Amino acid sequence: MTQLDSRAPETELLDPELDTAPGTVHEVVVTVNGRSRRISCEARKSLADALRQDLRLTGTHIGCEQGVCGACTVQLDGRTVRSCLTLAVQADGREVATIEGVAPDTDTLHPIQEAFRAQQGMQCGFCTPGMVLRTQEFLAQNPRPTRDEVREGISSSLCRCTGYQFIVDAVMDAADRLSGEQDQ
Amino acid sequence: MTVPTPTAPHKDLKWIGRSIPRVEDARLLRGLGRYIDDIVLPDMLHAAVLRSPHPHARIVAVDASAARRAPGVVAVVTGPEAADLVGPLPDNGPAPDKHVWRVLAADKVRFVGEGVAVVVAETRYQAEDACELIQVTYDVLDPIVDPVEAVQNPPGLVHEAMGTNIVYERTFTFGPVAQDFAEADLIVRDRLRYRRQTAHPLDTTGAVAEFDVGTGEMTVHTNSISATSAAFGAAASLGIPSNRLNLVPCIAGGSFGSKQFCWRSTVTAAMMAKLTGRPVKYVEDRLDHQLNGDQHGSDRYYDVELAVMRDGTFRSLRLDVVEDYGAYCQFGLGSHGNAIAQVTGPYAITSTEYHVQAVLTNKTQQGAYRGFGADAGNWALERIVDKAALELGMDRVEIRRRNLIPADAFPYTIPAGNLYDSGNYQAVLDHALERFDYAGWCEKREAMRAEGRHVGIGVVTANERSVYGATEFWFWFDNADVAVKTTSTPEGVNLNVDAAGNLTVTLYSTPFWGNSSDTVASMLVAEEFDVDPADVAVVHHGTKGGLPAAGPGGSRLTVMLAGAIRGASGKIKDKLRKITANTLEVDEDDLEWVDGGYQVRGVPERRRTVAELALAAHLVKTSLPEGMESGLDENFVYDHPYLTMPKDDRSDLGVWYPCVGNACHLVAVEVDPETGSVEILDYAAVHDSGTLVNPRSYDGQIVGGTAQGVATALSEELSFDAHGMPLPLTFWDYLMPTALDVPEVNIGHEETPSPLTAHGIKGGGEAGRLMAPGALSAAIDDALRDFDVRVTELPATPERIVGWISREGQV
Amino acid sequence: MKPPPFSYHRAGSGEHAVALLSALGPRAKVLAGGQSLLPMLNLRLADPPHLVDIGRAEDLRILRRAGDRLVIGAATTQSEVEYSSLTAAVPLLAEAVGYVAHPPIRHRGTVVGSMAHAAAVAELPCVALVLDARFTVLGADGVRTVAAGDFFLGPFRTAVGPGELVAEVALPIAAPGTGQAWSEFSLRRGNFPVAGAGVSLTLHHGRVAAVAIGLSGVADRPVRVPSAERILLGAVPDDELITRAAAAATEDLEPRPAADPAAHILPVPVAPVPGFDYRARVARSQVRRALTTALARAGGTR
Repeated sequence: MTQLDSRAPETELLDPELDTAPGTVHEVVVTVNGRSRRISCEARKSLADALRQDLRLTGTHIGCEQGVCGACTVQLDGRTVRSCLTLAVQADGREVATIEGVAPDTDTLHPIQEAFRAQQGMQCGFCTPGMVLRTQEFLAQNPRPTRDEVREGISSSLCRCTGYQFIVDAVMDAADRLSGEQDQ
Repeated sequence: MTVPTPTAPHKDLKWIGRSIPRVEDARLLRGLGRYIDDIVLPDMLHAAVLRSPHPHARIVAVDASAARRAPGVVAVVTGPEAADLVGPLPDNGPAPDKHVWRVLAADKVRFVGEGVAVVVAETRYQAEDACELIQVTYDVLDPIVDPVEAVQNPPGLVHEAMGTNIVYERTFTFGPVAQDFAEADLIVRDRLRYRRQTAHPLDTTGAVAEFDVGTGEMTVHTNSISATSAAFGAAASLGIPSNRLNLVPCIAGGSFGSKQFCWRSTVTAAMMAKLTGRPVKYVEDRLDHQLNGDQHGSDRYYDVELAVMRDGTFRSLRLDVVEDYGAYCQFGLGSHGNAIAQVTGPYAITSTEYHVQAVLTNKTQQGAYRGFGADAGNWALERIVDKAALELGMDRVEIRRRNLIPADAFPYTIPAGNLYDSGNYQAVLDHALERFDYAGWCEKREAMRAEGRHVGIGVVTANERSVYGATEFWFWFDNADVAVKTTSTPEGVNLNVDAAGNLTVTLYSTPFWGNSSDTVASMLVAEEFDVDPADVAVVHHGTKGGLPAAGPGGSRLTVMLAGAIRGASGKIKDKLRKITANTLEVDEDDLEWVDGGYQVRGVPERRRTVAELALAAHLVKTSLPEGMESGLDENFVYDHPYLTMPKDDRSDLGVWYPCVGNACHLVAVEVDPETGSVEILDYAAVHDSGTLVNPRSYDGQIVGGTAQGVATALSEELSFDAHGMPLPLTFWDYLMPTALDVPEVNIGHEETPSPLTAHGIKGGGEAGRLMAPGALSAAIDDALRDFDVRVTELPATPERIVGWISREGQV
Repeated sequence: MKPPPFSYHRAGSGEHAVALLSALGPRAKVLAGGQSLLPMLNLRLADPPHLVDIGRAEDLRILRRAGDRLVIGAATTQSEVEYSSLTAAVPLLAEAVGYVAHPPIRHRGTVVGSMAHAAAVAELPCVALVLDARFTVLGADGVRTVAAGDFFLGPFRTAVGPGELVAEVALPIAAPGTGQAWSEFSLRRGNFPVAGAGVSLTLHHGRVAAVAIGLSGVADRPVRVPSAERILLGAVPDDELITRAAAAATEDLEPRPAADPAAHILPVPVAPVPGFDYRARVARSQVRRALTTALARAGGTR
């Protein structure tokens, strides 16, 4: 790579808050799992790295940094995204949900998490946070899916361990648990 | 050693055999796994490695001056500099001094992705920036890419010191091969190609190192799954006494054979930590891992001959294997030892010849990937069996049934010398046929074919060896060439009962990597002490001061832990009984273990629970028998359950892999001849791995292994172009399956206990990857029989299938 | 795999974005959803010194019906298009957008961004070509409109010049009697296709009054296939005719080299992609499938 010109172009068009030279540290404010958090980082820092390194929320895993594996999946304004293909500065002012915010408290798991545990819908656990966050979104859109729909729904995340069958079991189980909650 | 006698299934177990939820999962579900990249030490630096863009080139000069001045950079070490700082990495291949493997290339680069310099900086971003400022002058050499050409007409040598590109070659003859071939009615021949694939766990390999200048102690957090073995090699390379190096295991996000020793990441981080005096993290990114990891699988060319009789009886098997190992030989001939351990599969075959030619080329060196060569071996055998059925006009199920080793023949010694401890292969086959509804599927297939659809069924019957022995490290060589004839593959545990009666089991080389080490250990302890597995604490000890332990590999974990935990439990219980006898003033022989305590036989009110006894053992010295030590803390080192020595002339390799499971997989597929895509319509798998500890977890291994096997058969390929450039660089291109690409597996079990192991357990971790490639290949053959297609090359990608159809028949 | 450093500029509007691009010079890049650009940066396949983020430019975040066109702004995500009831009026787009990667990618990726990335294998550039989309391109000198036929110049190359921004794409609403279909074959769900075919076919009294067939994956850019269109135009279509048209679909194409980088979704130096003959065969099969579906949707006999 060639040496970068570190001088910012001089023009009045450039907003001093946001128009910056390479290496400039940006102040990013993100609501993470309901709490407002401030992150100081370069523009090039991925949301995944910002969550993991700056906020020490290491449940968001980095598997490929190519947007394929889905281990880094988080929810941005309620929609799943690849946090490896989202810059932290792009999340400025937005709401992020990570795996650390899924369980209601330290003693209780979310029904989706309970279902994954009951069905052994995981082995090494590395894809699991992304799977759980995607499952949460998927079941909100399709509360009573078929097994084939579940396979389609979770096909955005790679799992190298399970062969997916018990993850499908877990999502079906979670659908039962969540529907049961609603029925009550 | 005396030959073991068969045992009956265990029916009286409390925890073993129950599909309880895993003890690890709650924390993993909260995102609290703490994998290697989650570890942060104060003042920690980050390493990035500059990698070779050339498959083969001499390093003329490395200029890192600009990188050293770059923002955030603390140190840069080039390949030539690293050669002065650390020694070569351990290589288990023959004559390792002739193919020296280093943490960074010092004189030549030998594959695309080999490291040539490492940068440590305040952030990984800065370290990668600085890598781009390093100027390497290369003298580009002709790459050695094709292994056949590398032998017959080499464009050069991968390692000049070898004088050849063949790193090993030998023919093993087990039994009367020539006679059997001469007497055979028919010789079935096939030429097969099993292409390179890779494990690609989602969590890559990494290390975080910390050097204490005051004590001279190096601590490295590692996701090596075999840290105890890795520590010796790492210490040697680093020039640190092994008792000053502590490899601390952290959980691994998947292994599948990879992450065995992780020498490169360990030495990279430790070298830089020592140099900078600050903790250093080196975690491979996806490109690092793919280009220069330790997880590339077998890459083989097979010529196979099966000598058969007219009635379908197999007589003898000849295998001629060329293996493209890549640039180094880290794991020696291990992947062939795994293949030979079950070379004749589940069949009674009276003799075998195995010729192996191991070739080095300018590609990433192989590591281990689930099956470790037995995957390829099973596939080759099942392919030739199918071809025999075709040539004899026999049914593919019947030819297998005819040749299966009979249930009353166990323990059974194969021509290569290995022992199969137990089995009931006919029961597994019958169970699978019924579970799959084979007869029903045959009818469905005909009906679908009548509609013009290309539907086929495939079947494999195959074995899964487990619990490797150490003779396979050296039986390749003549005795005179072997320095130490290793025979130990130990696994130690410590079992501790504290004063409150709570149990802690400490493991030494067995981290969690998805395979439920904590759950398995907890259940095994719970079985011995009648406690809830959730109440057993599990500790993963660092290598420093640890017990001997070989760690996972070759599906040995559950068997070895069961033996070690039973041993340690026996010692603890022995002590508990003595204390009980002493406090109740009864004879030890009058006591029996009942529901978590010792009581006088027939007098249940005269008893002591573990909690009472633990309190006494820790706090009431006067209640202990004369001379007994206080506390309840016992080590037990369990070693290989059954190993015999190879013959001097290697006409028999002895027993080294004796806990042998068996499986039958059946699959129905439909092939679209226009696109070449294969859709799996149905899949059934019946496995027998002896006594099951946690059936649900074991089923997870079957399904996960089958998914990998399906991808081995259909999609995954780590290809290189004719110039030695690796082609798939991203997960877009290396086609690991999604949930839509793998079948629902209809799973069944038979349980024939091993007579050799605690509770009759056999290993089963490699599972479906050993079976699915053969089953899929057979089903594709069957679906495309109108085109005379036979799958002789994997993966059977859509493009290849279309090519076969176009070549073999008319569309 | 971390991106090289760049300066980051957040545009408040399309006009602001163009002003920033103009001020920052020709190597500045537009960041929309980033689902193609950020992998390139992570792999260091690109090193733009400046990024202009248009993700918050509200005037680019549009999805509206304008007369007989559906107008999609440069900041509008694939998901927003996918989930909008307006999209049903452009059935080819509605169908094809669901094939783009996976929901978490579509939640960030933009329709215009995918078209402007101009991967020759991708779905949306081919859709734009089949439907003769119009791109509204903003530059320092004003606004111009570029037809899809003039837009795609080669792999990852378009008619958008330095300092310019594709602000909108306008796609025609399907006319009555029109059936459209997207068909593709990919090696794995969510992957870019080996080859894909987009069809828009209008019947009038049982005859093909208009037809457009486009292919992805068989050239260095999305291409129309006049050889197949000619066979259908004016005819009363049936299975036999569709088979003939499909067979003719790759007749006019120049074979592509082995390991064709144009057949990859990113501008990588070497690509593990299927050979041209195979891609052409798959393309023909997808033309047949898409034509069959489009004809049925147009109300034709089937």
